[in-house]
Amino acid sequence: MPIGYYYAVAAILFCTGLTGVMLRRNAIVLFMCVELMLNSVNLTLVTAARQWGNADGHVFAFFVIVVAAAEVVVGLALIVNIFFRRGTLDVDAPTLLRG
Amino acid sequence: MQVLLVAAEAGGTSQTAEQVMFWILAVVAVGSALAVIAMRNIIHAALMLVLNLAAIAGMYLLLETGFLGVVQVIVYAGAIVVLFLFVIMLLGVDRDDLLADVKMWHRLGAGGLAVLVLAGTMWAFVGPYTSDASRCNRPQEAAPAEGEPALTAEELLERASSHDVACVGLEGALAEQPNGSVSFVADRLFNRYTFAFELAGLLLTVATIGAIVLGRRKDRDEDLALLVEPAGAGADRSGQARGDEREDL
Repeated sequence: MPIGYYYAVAAILFCTGLTGVMLRRNAIVLFMCVELMLNSVNLTLVTAARQWGNADGHVFAFFVIVVAAAEVVVGLALIVNIFFRRGTLDVDAPTLLRG
Repeated sequence: MQVLLVAAEAGGTSQTAEQVMFWILAVVAVGSALAVIAMRNIIHAALMLVLNLAAIAGMYLLLETGFLGVVQVIVYAGAIVVLFLFVIMLLGVDRDDLLADVKMWHRLGAGGLAVLVLAGTMWAFVGPYTSDASRCNRPQEAAPAEGEPALTAEELLERASSHDVACVGLEGALAEQPNGSVSFVADRLFNRYTFAFELAGLLLTVATIGAIVLGRRKDRDEDLALLVEPAGAGADRSGQARGDEREDL
């Protein structure tokens, strides 16, 4: 399999996640789309690691997974708090800052 | 799971097996990713995310990285998506009706921008690596030609830099490792990136503390009132509650 095909799949997944982030307004779905994008980047890193025969890409992907886990924990706690305070998960809902 | 096992077998061995597994996993990954952003039921979207993560884990196995494939299944499918489902069910927000009233120009704009990004990425990063030279672990590289010694990883890297071979592959590097990709990753992680590894541990600790602080209930006064209530009052109340139940029965 030419190595570029793996990059192509990663690029398609990234753009799918990007579309989701731009289209969806539900905060939880937004987070899932961010996960999609992080995963596609991981796929790119692992593919590059194989292409150059080097473990650095694996280590980077490992760190991305760690950061994604931390991000989801804090983000979901924030989402729960926002939902209890405002009663909606719509990220476009009128905010306190609107004049 | 069976599919993932086949993928693990196909990773280093034959080109045809790798191709078949690649196309299956690619279709599953892209299809489930589209489903994640299109599903109106958020629980279904989360389950589609599991499918997507499993397909990517299969790709890791195809890319000769068994360790990351297993980590992917444990951390993402086992922990992160479960957390998502937990929050969705806790808040009771499984239907997302916001998707319906996205304006048409908004959809077109988002799709157009994504296609633009995709085209740029394809041109820059995918185009150069679709030739036959960028197949990893080609048999003619593994077998020494006409009495020449087999190419070492350094020589392959040299040839890769000169665009003669566009993929070094992990076969040679993994053959030197006692425990495959686990020791391959661990060697780098605990030698060159030790400090970053410790920082990652610190990050996880801080994230845990942050989640605890954020998850604490804000109406502490009521809880405190319950705590400092005299024991007698609490007993009275429970007795009352039991009596109410009897009346209901």
